[in-house]
Amino acid sequence: MVKEKTFAFFLGCLMPNRYPAIEKATKFVMKKLGYEILDMEKAGCCPAPGVFRSFNKVDWMVAAARNLCIAEKLDSDILTVCNGCFGTLQEVNKHLKQNEEHRIMVNEKLQLLGDYEFKGTINVRHIGEVLGYEIGPWGIDDMIVRKVNARAAVHYGCHFLKPTRIREIESSEGPTIIEEYIEALGVQSVRFKEQLTCCGAGGGLKAYSGDASMTIFGEKMRNIDEVKPDFILDICPFCHLQFETGQDYLNKNKECNYDYPVIHISQLTAYCMGMDQEFVGLQYQLMGKNYIFGEKEMKKEQEVV
Amino acid sequence: MSDIKEEHKEFMTDEDFDQDFFKNIERRSNIWKCIQCGTCTASCESGRWTALKTRSIVRKVVLGDLSVLDDPDIWLCTTCYQCYERCPRDVRPTDVIMELRNYATQRGNISPNHRAVVGYLKNTGHGVPINDEIRQRRIELGLEELPPTLFKFKEEGDDEDLKNFEKYMFDLPPVKEKEEETGGE
Repeated sequence: MVKEKTFAFFLGCLMPNRYPAIEKATKFVMKKLGYEILDMEKAGCCPAPGVFRSFNKVDWMVAAARNLCIAEKLDSDILTVCNGCFGTLQEVNKHLKQNEEHRIMVNEKLQLLGDYEFKGTINVRHIGEVLGYEIGPWGIDDMIVRKVNARAAVHYGCHFLKPTRIREIESSEGPTIIEEYIEALGVQSVRFKEQLTCCGAGGGLKAYSGDASMTIFGEKMRNIDEVKPDFILDICPFCHLQFETGQDYLNKNKECNYDYPVIHISQLTAYCMGMDQEFVGLQYQLMGKNYIFGEKEMKKEQEVV
Repeated sequence: MSDIKEEHKEFMTDEDFDQDFFKNIERRSNIWKCIQCGTCTASCESGRWTALKTRSIVRKVVLGDLSVLDDPDIWLCTTCYQCYERCPRDVRPTDVIMELRNYATQRGNISPNHRAVVGYLKNTGHGVPINDEIRQRRIELGLEELPPTLFKFKEEGDDEDLKNFEKYMFDLPPVKEKEEETGGE
């Protein structure tokens, strides 16, 4: 049995190595919510489901299984804040639990990497689903100290919900999990055209053809710009990177003038739970450096958590 | 004989080929059920802007036209899974493309950027490695300077895991000669 109220925190690459403020915020939130967060020592890249799965599916499974084994040794479910890491780890975990032939094959190769054996004792969880379902809008309401009165363009990304037959979270054509959750934080989700499409970064496309990736992203930004949200809310550091660097690219190369802050669900939640804006880390990001949550903040009745 | 054959070989033949190819694709993707309705292409978020035509890629595979492995378009998919979700025949085009990319990689069709990413992974355990600016930022935020991943252990001299990883994982075929001449795809 896995430990209750405990997560092995899978960092991945982009969060610790590009957006450490998301790491800070996630730890803050989970501790406040009463979870124990364990380090996964010697974990690595998930590896990314776009690039690395494209090169060698077997090695992709083995490297993912290695990360899963680290959490198995900690007797804890994995928590990830990234759609890519979630995509890889959740899929491989589920697949190896069900497919004995592949489990044996992967375990054989795992021995080459060190003392690892996949047993299939844990589950992989995404922060969006932990906050949205396990804590829920009903639960977070008691834990926050302030609300943010803002309009956000919510971006789900692809691998959080799809493929639905593997993720089994909710429908990918009309999800509401994040919208309902952020409403409890005072944030209104504004609908925009083609809201559920890809940011254009995945599948190794950002590395393979930056132009194609930016063309797809350009359409996304045009649709977002039509509804003029206060910020863009995402649940994935890779989408986060695309929204950040993408706006910058469009401003410099396509005569655009975007400055939408990009905020991860952990950053928003941490702020509402009392973390200082300084640690939300917008000053480190390319876009919306001067955006201040507090400006429109509506104080909740004073109650100390 | 053999010289002539080499010179005129435009399409791959079965002899070049791993016999498990179709078996693997079939097992993962239900590809024979495809009725060419085009829902995949209509749903494709990349194909709206790029040359990627998912329906014709699936058709080529069904017909055994293996030139699709040398087709750069298979690398334009963002794996958004929209085709996978919507296919009325339960074909899984994203899995077909993944399978094709695996075989294309074996044939040496890998972009230089992708090779670089594999290099980062082998050297640091991360597809996106840390840099000095972020190290500083982590300290400012009150986090450990380095996250407790493979790279930190390598820095501290305990690099056995990473060495094994480098040795046994994601071996890519050498750069093709043709690729060098043309500067690569």
